Amino acid sequence: MTETSTPPAQQVGSSQHADGAVARLRTILGRRTEGRAVALLGVVLVATLILEPVVFTSYEVTLGRVALIGLVALGLTAVILMGELDLAVASTLAVSGVIMASFDSLLVGIPVALATGLVIGMVNAFFVIVVGINSFIATLGMLFFLRGAAFVISDEAPVRIADIDAGIAFGRPVLGPLTPRMLIFVVAFVALHIFLTRVRVGREFYAVGGNREAAYDAGIPVARRVFTGFMISGFVAALAGVINALERTAADPTAGSSVLLASFAAAIIGGVLLNGGRGSVFGTLLGASSLGILQVALTLSGVQVDVQNIVIGGVLLIAVITDPNSLRAAAGSFRALVRSRSGPQPPG
Amino acid sequence: MTERATTASTHLPPAAEIEQELEETAFKLSEWMSQQGIFIFTAALILFATLFIDGFASLPNITDVFNRAAPIGIVAAGMTFVVISGNYLDLSVVAQVATAGVVLIAVSNAAGLPLAILVAIAIALVYGLVNGVAVGIFKANAVIVTLSTTFIGLGMLRWLTGGSIYFGPGDGPIRLFGSTRIGPLPLAMIVFIGVTLLLSFVLTRTNFGFMVRSYGSNREATRLAGVNSGLVVIGAFTMSALGAMLGGFVLAAFSNTAVSAMSEGYDFRALAAIIVGGTSVFGGRGSVLRTLLGVVFVSVLTNIMVLSGWGFGLQQMAIGLLIVVAVSVDALARKATAA
Repeated sequence: MTETSTPPAQQVGSSQHADGAVARLRTILGRRTEGRAVALLGVVLVATLILEPVVFTSYEVTLGRVALIGLVALGLTAVILMGELDLAVASTLAVSGVIMASFDSLLVGIPVALATGLVIGMVNAFFVIVVGINSFIATLGMLFFLRGAAFVISDEAPVRIADIDAGIAFGRPVLGPLTPRMLIFVVAFVALHIFLTRVRVGREFYAVGGNREAAYDAGIPVARRVFTGFMISGFVAALAGVINALERTAADPTAGSSVLLASFAAAIIGGVLLNGGRGSVFGTLLGASSLGILQVALTLSGVQVDVQNIVIGGVLLIAVITDPNSLRAAAGSFRALVRSRSGPQPPG
Repeated sequence: MTERATTASTHLPPAAEIEQELEETAFKLSEWMSQQGIFIFTAALILFATLFIDGFASLPNITDVFNRAAPIGIVAAGMTFVVISGNYLDLSVVAQVATAGVVLIAVSNAAGLPLAILVAIAIALVYGLVNGVAVGIFKANAVIVTLSTTFIGLGMLRWLTGGSIYFGPGDGPIRLFGSTRIGPLPLAMIVFIGVTLLLSFVLTRTNFGFMVRSYGSNREATRLAGVNSGLVVIGAFTMSALGAMLGGFVLAAFSNTAVSAMSEGYDFRALAAIIVGGTSVFGGRGSVLRTLLGVVFVSVLTNIMVLSGWGFGLQQMAIGLLIVVAVSVDALARKATAA
């Protein structure tokens, strides 16, 4: 699950034995989840190298963007792995930034903002687990509610953070070319990777997402795992909000709407299955890298934000209809259409 | 749950029995509320507004409420099909309403009203097809799909218009439609009621409506019964798209202007109206007539908030909370029915 998948080029190379190649391709597509992210990253890398190589010379900007998208996408990965979704991340990002900025001292503001993220995650999980609302709808309601809250807390205008020097210092490289934002992202990435692949609680996320009933019967505390997942996602989104506000030295209540789209696209194209149970942090990293590079490349080539939204929206739409389940469903519909006269098909 | 109920009545001490009974009453109450509560709540809200909110019960204000309710209501009536089909909602109505409004004004300025309407219908069909194919054929998640089509659609609209405002001519059919009133009822409100009755007929009396409801309550059974589920979902999203288009027309005609940002908040207001009306977000249960009632509730609530000087942020918080509460009541009612 975690190893790099074969680039598409090599799969095409073995097409002499048509049947064998198709079968092998199927196995590869069935087992690996990162294939699409690799393909997109390849396309984006080649295109930017040719069209806009400045993306790589000004790599601080690019890495910063990748880190922001990646951080939010990492939190989402934990939730989506369990077959749930957290649409509230974008507003969580905005609210936590605004909350941090409205305190006089960062030493108070940052912990309060991060705690807010945890609380938001708990509230989301409460609605999903205790009340029994579908997470899409519960977190959508929270998205609207928190977006309003960010406007109310900030009085509908960007809030300057109290300690601007700290914000400026935060944007400076501390280790080689790496700013604190990237370091935090790297730490979060490694931590979540170890958590999901080596720690029992994290492994159980896959079980919960793969088959919740079976996970429950196997003695996994499903409700607690879902709570943990939503709290991770809320906390990480709040962290991204804090970092974002620190680097811009101001918290914008409208922050996060473009991050929402990009981070979803990153996680989904990275191979995290929306039904849960499959995917890897590594795939999310690949997805975030390709989308971050894409966004920076578009910005640096002077493409308007509106057109960027079209592109990122298109990537998300393609990502969500090309996941293995969707392709199988589409193939099934097509077959049913062709054989519609031969009576009802068996389920499957 | 049934098991617990039996043990409670035979073995548990009185205190626990009472607790059990209370719990059951609460469940029954939540079920009743999710079904019938909207009538009481709407009446109570209107009574409250009439008594305590200055300026609510005046003819200009009531006309204003109607004028604002009509476009949201038409959008919500169409979107009800998507919700009943079990696909949560159509977020892309925000993009669709604005696109239809801008097309109506801008294209009719340039090439006449009939062409504008044709272009808008074509765009609506494209939206219905793209959303419907992605959700119905590829079985992709409706929230994610319509989130991406929102960004694509709004991005295109803003890119093509540059965010500029389009004004209709001072006289002409659009202005006439937007300004005609029969008593306190603007023409838009009559269109809204007409659309509601028509869509209600489609949902309850036609094969297509039956299939949408059936698909919403049990997908697998509907599919095994030989229904082409892909087409049902495409149909539901097309109804939503046509509703959003008509809502955009009405909204643009009301002010005789159109701009890409004019439909902000239509996604959650329409969803709130549908859910508050009692249409289940879990699919299969609901009606367009209930959505009409939900629209009245949400519009009166919004009007109260505006008259009380609440900003957009507070309004958004309130509607977001309303959605979560209404869905919670529905979810608890379903638990009660299942138990």
